[in-house]
Amino acid sequence: MKNIIKKLAALGCCAITLYACGGRKSNTVTLPDGQLDPCTLRFSWWGGDDRHAATLEAIKQWEQLHPGIHITPEYGGWDGWTEKVSAQLSGGTAPDVMQINYDWLINMSPDGEGFYDLDELKGFLDLTGYDEDVLSFGRIGGHLNAVTVSVSGRGLFYNSGSYSRFGQEYPSTWSELIELGGIFGKEDMYPIDLDTQSGGTAWYFAVVYIQQKTGRTFITMDGELGFTPEDIEAALEFYKELEDCHVIRGVKQHTDQDGNSALYQSPEFISGRVGGVLEWGSSVGKYEMVLPEGALQAGPLLTGDNGEQGGWMIKPSLMYAVSLGTGHPDEAAAFMDFMLNDAECAQILGTTRGIPSSRYAAESLESSGKLTGLAQENAEMLGSTETVTISPYMELSRMKEYYNEAIEKVSYGKAGTREAAQEMYDAIETYLEKIKK
Amino acid sequence: MKKKAYRNPVGVSRYTGLLLVSPFIAGFLVFTLYPFISSFLLGLTDYDGIHQPDFIGLENYRYMLDNDDLHAAVKATLTYMVILVPLKLVISLLTAVLLNKELKGIGVYRTIFYIPSILGSNLAIVIMWQFLFTSGGLVNQLLSAAGLPDVSWYGSGAHSMLMIVLLRLWEFGSAMILFLNALRDIPREYSEAAKVDGCGDVRCFFRITLPLLKNVLFLNLILQTISALQEFNAPYMITGGGPMRSTYTIGMLIYNEMFRYHDAGYANAVSWLLFAIATVIVLILYRVTGKGREEYT
Repeated sequence: MKNIIKKLAALGCCAITLYACGGRKSNTVTLPDGQLDPCTLRFSWWGGDDRHAATLEAIKQWEQLHPGIHITPEYGGWDGWTEKVSAQLSGGTAPDVMQINYDWLINMSPDGEGFYDLDELKGFLDLTGYDEDVLSFGRIGGHLNAVTVSVSGRGLFYNSGSYSRFGQEYPSTWSELIELGGIFGKEDMYPIDLDTQSGGTAWYFAVVYIQQKTGRTFITMDGELGFTPEDIEAALEFYKELEDCHVIRGVKQHTDQDGNSALYQSPEFISGRVGGVLEWGSSVGKYEMVLPEGALQAGPLLTGDNGEQGGWMIKPSLMYAVSLGTGHPDEAAAFMDFMLNDAECAQILGTTRGIPSSRYAAESLESSGKLTGLAQENAEMLGSTETVTISPYMELSRMKEYYNEAIEKVSYGKAGTREAAQEMYDAIETYLEKIKK
Repeated sequence: MKKKAYRNPVGVSRYTGLLLVSPFIAGFLVFTLYPFISSFLLGLTDYDGIHQPDFIGLENYRYMLDNDDLHAAVKATLTYMVILVPLKLVISLLTAVLLNKELKGIGVYRTIFYIPSILGSNLAIVIMWQFLFTSGGLVNQLLSAAGLPDVSWYGSGAHSMLMIVLLRLWEFGSAMILFLNALRDIPREYSEAAKVDGCGDVRCFFRITLPLLKNVLFLNLILQTISALQEFNAPYMITGGGPMRSTYTIGMLIYNEMFRYHDAGYANAVSWLLFAIATVIVLILYRVTGKGREEYT
């Protein structure tokens, strides 16, 4: 008898441990029950300190209004964030509400079944403040997977102190920018710099230049490569010209001076030796915060010498999605609605996530005179020119590796522009073909 | 006084052992055997880490032949291993010999030398490394003061590799502790007797101490080699694998393929390649050092 008990106990121990360590089903969908119950929701986002501070304040406001629904914040910088969320989604431990990036929809929900279908949560999520065009960014395979927080594009922002030192105006054409390289170079300073890390800013800038010049789109919305190898070569030549004319730092110099830090943390930018950046209107706050108040100013979107415009790009800069495995879909939708539409919340968040796409939030900011600042100026400039909507395929992490690799090879002189362009072209073609299967 | 007798209330049988080791067996099954087998199976699939995997046979392994990133990663990992492991063994052994002396406050020194190993490569270390090695950093300032030219630490492939090696070299504490324990097990009478016979310190070290450390030296060699082959954290945090993929280790490639590029099938296949490389290297080391090692019977 004792032996039987021991055998059972041993098996029981193994079974309990195995059960405790076993994975849980991640694709079980909890259906909405039409009421808000007390619960704890996890909400994750990335961003700079300005966004973190405002979001934490907004969460406090939510908890005052809904004492039974507690929000656990999970936040950090952009680097490594995609990897973290991917791991959470794979392991079925994703937060209930997530700030997501545009291209994640392709990787994480190619058929529209990777996130909760928000059309089913309209009882608590008011989407009447949105244009259907803006909503369509988050619609995959007929499912509304995500709602756009703001539509934004990259623009040029300058440190006024650096420019006033040389008595220079902000450039309005590509040629003027290149001329400034010579002027700033006399004191070993730079009129702008381009982050060559995960953002792929250097390639973005070159793409805008070529798109404006040729009228061709780098990658189309359905994932076709619109540039020819010659276009890519011209873009890389333009990038090299920026380096050679002292407009931007070379990759080696950039890396030596800043290590692995982002540009907004670079002593060269903070000290004003780098006089400008190319950044999303929705994220420029982190650059603004490290300079004296009012020092960072928006500059015009560059045009060709003959007045050619266009080529500048926009995209849904940030989106909110609800995890497929959430146990509290109604509450998650209500919280998302608060973050997107609530007038008081909009006042707290300001433009830390760009200019809100929700009409209600935008009206709230406008009525209180808060629809100002760099994000708004950037949005106005982009609104006044013909823009190209960025393909989500352009934003994929693997694609950014191809851009950075080509830029690095050209910058280090390890490959000529033609060779690097052909390699990039072939790699992109092969990859796009693979992921569209 | 009568001694109280204790009795096991459930008795002891052949199943008691099984009962006691069952948590380990369960842990081994779940955290070692299951991932080990499933990673091999996933390496035979096209899998994005989220949706259902599709079986593609050996396609991931065939792709390894064409993948330049993998070739760069294998080269960087082997270079890193070849530079780091011998240096680390020599430095940790020499430090252990010094710390084996009977000096006042020796415990404090041992602790101080071990501290870097606890720090790992966290954010504070990353920031410290930036202060030390960026172009205006302390190391270049010292070089300038000594009349030497500045070194491009982050921007040059060879120097970035050296920078990562220096970080791990600085963390020699765990290897040192193994040597120190082995040194303390060597009876002092051996070296004292040799010294009476006129043997100097250096000769004593090479003729008496080192032969008696052969087994722990081999153990440290294997542990440090495997650890170097698995390196991920230091290059990820400090150089991001650059410049020009010069510090892009296999560990970084697996991580990127898995979490950034959503190619979990390929990441798992590369994990098996890493396993194969580690196995081959360990077998070679085992064979090469075979004659020198003592077999415990």
